[in-house]
Amino acid sequence: MSSSFGAGPGLPRGGAPLARQPRMVPVGGGKGGVGKTFVVANLASALARMGYSVVAVDGDLEAANLHTCLGVSQPVGSLADYVAHREEDLGKLLLDTPIPNLRLIAATGGNLATPQPGHARRVQLLRELRRLPADFVLIDLGAGTHPAVMDYFMVGDDGVVVISPEPTSVENAYAFLRAAFYRRLRLSMVSHDVRRVVTLAMDESNERGIRTPLDLLREVRALDSAEGHRFVETMRSFRPRVVINGVRTGKDVQLGFSVRSICRKYFGFDAEYLGYVNFDDGVRRSVRSRRPLLEVAPRCDASVYLARVAKKLAGEARVAPQGAPTR
Amino acid sequence: MKPLSEQDHYEVLEVARDASGKTVERAYRLARATYDDDSLAGYSVLRDTDSAAIRERIETAFRVLAEAESRRAYDASLRADEPDAEPALPPEDQVQTVLDMEAPPAETGIEPFEELGEEPGGDFDGPRLRRSRMRRGLELDDVARVTKVNPTYLRFLEEERFEELPARVYVRGFVTLYAGCVGLEAKLVAEDYMRRFDAQRSGSGRRGAPS
Repeated sequence: MSSSFGAGPGLPRGGAPLARQPRMVPVGGGKGGVGKTFVVANLASALARMGYSVVAVDGDLEAANLHTCLGVSQPVGSLADYVAHREEDLGKLLLDTPIPNLRLIAATGGNLATPQPGHARRVQLLRELRRLPADFVLIDLGAGTHPAVMDYFMVGDDGVVVISPEPTSVENAYAFLRAAFYRRLRLSMVSHDVRRVVTLAMDESNERGIRTPLDLLREVRALDSAEGHRFVETMRSFRPRVVINGVRTGKDVQLGFSVRSICRKYFGFDAEYLGYVNFDDGVRRSVRSRRPLLEVAPRCDASVYLARVAKKLAGEARVAPQGAPTR
Repeated sequence: MKPLSEQDHYEVLEVARDASGKTVERAYRLARATYDDDSLAGYSVLRDTDSAAIRERIETAFRVLAEAESRRAYDASLRADEPDAEPALPPEDQVQTVLDMEAPPAETGIEPFEELGEEPGGDFDGPRLRRSRMRRGLELDDVARVTKVNPTYLRFLEEERFEELPARVYVRGFVTLYAGCVGLEAKLVAEDYMRRFDAQRSGSGRRGAPS
């Protein structure tokens, strides 16, 4: 079924050597039901079709269903086993899918009382994820802004935020981006005083009236200029990618550009508009058939858009002309 | 990242210093929509006072950059402030165009989604026409306004409802106009599309001209 890393069918077309570390692509969005799992399943499928070795990880331990979208009906072993220390080797949880080059780590069978791993286990998990034998590791994140979700989102620099063109989704997406940025920032700051101000700013109703990262930057600079410099560096390196899912109109397409502008002007960091996917009745059919849309209807509009987003992601991996990713 | 108060007019409109007049205008229209009080993208994070302040900067920036002479003077002042920078000026007539034109709806669309590149080859069929339209952020009514073609026929073109379209000569005209409006090579598109149309309708009777 799926190939082992660095061998035969796992090679991108052209057969050049594979990257040593996988490219981590966590996919979040804050709100449930915006199509994160659908996007992950199809981007993973598209990248696998392009010849990359791909692992799709279901990071939603409380509502796992990536396995269903990828045609794996009853996963044997899952991330929950790793969280509960029943399995220490993440590689042993890799499951083949019906799609060549694409493997899955499911998230079924979790402990509802303590679904998320504690901090230490999370650190181990993130380290193990980076060691997975693949070119791309896509992580389907759960809804909300739980610290675990934020940590998964920051596992790489290529976090994708899925937004549907609805007020509720847009609102939650900003909350998600804000939470991700502040969490990254707090980890980057060294000074105890500055970290305390960052923590204060994370409370939207804070008494100092800090509303945006740019407000916070002013405070941090006043406290410590070196920390101010680190702040700016963190801001520059935070570059989430936006996918608008379920567009029906030209205005919906423009939403991605508008979100990008607001991230820049209001929050002070650059978001990239990675692409959009149109609303398509075929999506429901693909979920019902428990296969990615790209496998069921590769020529429909939504599949074309998804393939385009995947191509963009792969392009950002600085793919060599022969199709081999380099790092 | 600079706060808004420190951004120059190009940064406010998020365009390059050598942006053409059309690009400046498109950026302005997008910014105006983004920072409108009812904007889907902004309403949940921006207070009315935030939006108003940003809108004011956007209006000022556009007023300066849309007019050739004021843009030249502004660029000169930027160069004086940044001796190392060499902003490229667009041709004067390009900037002047913005002042003179009453932009047709096609021009109000966003830039095509070039960041993702064109989709790979293949026939220019109905779905591909639709995708090209979406890529410019245009609605069917926008295309109808520019082409003067009934939006119902435009929708039939996209959906390839060949039997419901009028006679061949009209369809070819519609396709040519549609393609031009969404920035495609009209001749190429018409050839592709009519090949599919002919294959589908070969042997069937013709319908009358649109009323």
